Amino acid sequence: MDQFDFIVLAVKTLVILVLIIQVVPVMIYLERKIAALIQDRPGPNRVGPLGLLQPVADALKLLMKEDPVPSNVNKFLFQIAPFLAVMPACLSLAALPLGDFFEIGDRKYLLQIADLNVGLLYIFAIGSLGIYGTLFGGWASNNKFSLIGAMRSASQIVSYEIPLALGVTGAVMMYGTLSLREMVFKQSGLLLGVLPNWGVFYQPLGFLVFFVAAFAETNRLPFDLPETEAELVAGFHTEYGSMSFASFFMAEYMAMTTMSAVMTTVYFGGWQIPYLSDEALFSMIGSRNILALIQVAVFFTKVMVFMCIYVWVRWTLPRFRFDQLMKLSWGNLIPIGLINIVLTAIGLYFWDKR
Amino acid sequence: MTDGIFIAIGIFTLLCGSSVILCKSPVYSAFSLILSFFGLAGLYILLESPFIAVIQVLVYTGAIVVLFVYVVMLMNPNSSGAYRNWIFMIVSAFLAWAVSLYLLKALTLGVAPAVGGAHALSLKEVATLLFTKYLWPFEILSIFLVVMIVAVFALAKQSKETPNE
Repeated sequence: MDQFDFIVLAVKTLVILVLIIQVVPVMIYLERKIAALIQDRPGPNRVGPLGLLQPVADALKLLMKEDPVPSNVNKFLFQIAPFLAVMPACLSLAALPLGDFFEIGDRKYLLQIADLNVGLLYIFAIGSLGIYGTLFGGWASNNKFSLIGAMRSASQIVSYEIPLALGVTGAVMMYGTLSLREMVFKQSGLLLGVLPNWGVFYQPLGFLVFFVAAFAETNRLPFDLPETEAELVAGFHTEYGSMSFASFFMAEYMAMTTMSAVMTTVYFGGWQIPYLSDEALFSMIGSRNILALIQVAVFFTKVMVFMCIYVWVRWTLPRFRFDQLMKLSWGNLIPIGLINIVLTAIGLYFWDKR
Repeated sequence: MTDGIFIAIGIFTLLCGSSVILCKSPVYSAFSLILSFFGLAGLYILLESPFIAVIQVLVYTGAIVVLFVYVVMLMNPNSSGAYRNWIFMIVSAFLAWAVSLYLLKALTLGVAPAVGGAHALSLKEVATLLFTKYLWPFEILSIFLVVMIVAVFALAKQSKETPNE
């Protein structure tokens, strides 16, 4: 790797990071608008055209607020917890393939920060660290509600990591790789000449388990037990204000983005356009770099569809009770995940095509 | 370059490791433990074993230390010096000394864990070994774990049935 490659890598990392952080303001707007749509009210419409500047106003409001540190908190952990929440969310972006590659001169660069051969495991490993922000933040606040929220979060995330991994194992067995990039390549073409060759059509059960577990893993409604405002005020971030609170908020949205990106990559063909292969598109456009841009756009479109489903579910379903939450994971999702693995193994044994 | 990274990560890991035992508050100890596990994962990556590194983070940092922190937070975390027992301290110091002596001896004999010359295993090789050569140990370990889980369930249920007085 020479100096030029290094600079390209650094710029690429920065661009991908900034690009994915931009999902947060878009989601703030969409969350409010979709909520309004579902509740049959106009939603934000005062700041800018169609209320489009609402996220800017929200961010400014949060920036200008006081960032209080209560007197009885553990200062070090209280202040470091928001960083602990955001950092894993940013780190897990490194393995996401946004597109195939782009060219500078005659050199090819992948549209991915690092093509790890353990990419999927890397995302799970880093994702499982997100809990420390919640856990330390809730404990350091020295507040019983916060502590209960943190404890709930810990037990919920540890429980739901198992169905999350079991759900995706079937897909991993089918593709025979953990590299997210190779998974996308294996989903090109058509299935039976009608459907796109996407993982979701081979692994509907696995996708279902993964999808449900992803909601719990990101603390979203109907599984937002760590911050139930009716019981726990706001759970682990009760004592936080200003940008510290915004960091938790951002971490949640970025975790959602990562989960949506994993679902897109593993089950919905990543950057590929259904019924239109990359090569066919390339021969139409004739430029690799424009093709790369189109791929990134397709990838983000698919991710945003999942993000909108997250919002849709949030404003549609009521919250679970904690024992129901645990029962769903240990009693339903894990057995379904195990059955899916056995079915996949039998299927692979008899239909040894891939 | 690699040597520099190794030394930096090594110092980081050692510092975090010693702060695990030097910190008065158990929560800070747990926090240092997380950081030292990260250092270890970095060392595994330097040894070109990203799979082991990722599993290290996934299992230890992401699950086991979470439970440590959970337990520490549920107990009274500010009681420092709960184990200020001289006998404990002497026995543990002796044990630590013996273990490090043994490790040093192993180093001089050249039978230390062959880190430098070790062939980094890919995911495929690990899986192949696990399902062929080490199939029986693997299965026996799984049965052992299941037995433990069942035992914990049985104990937990028993203590619930007998009223606590």
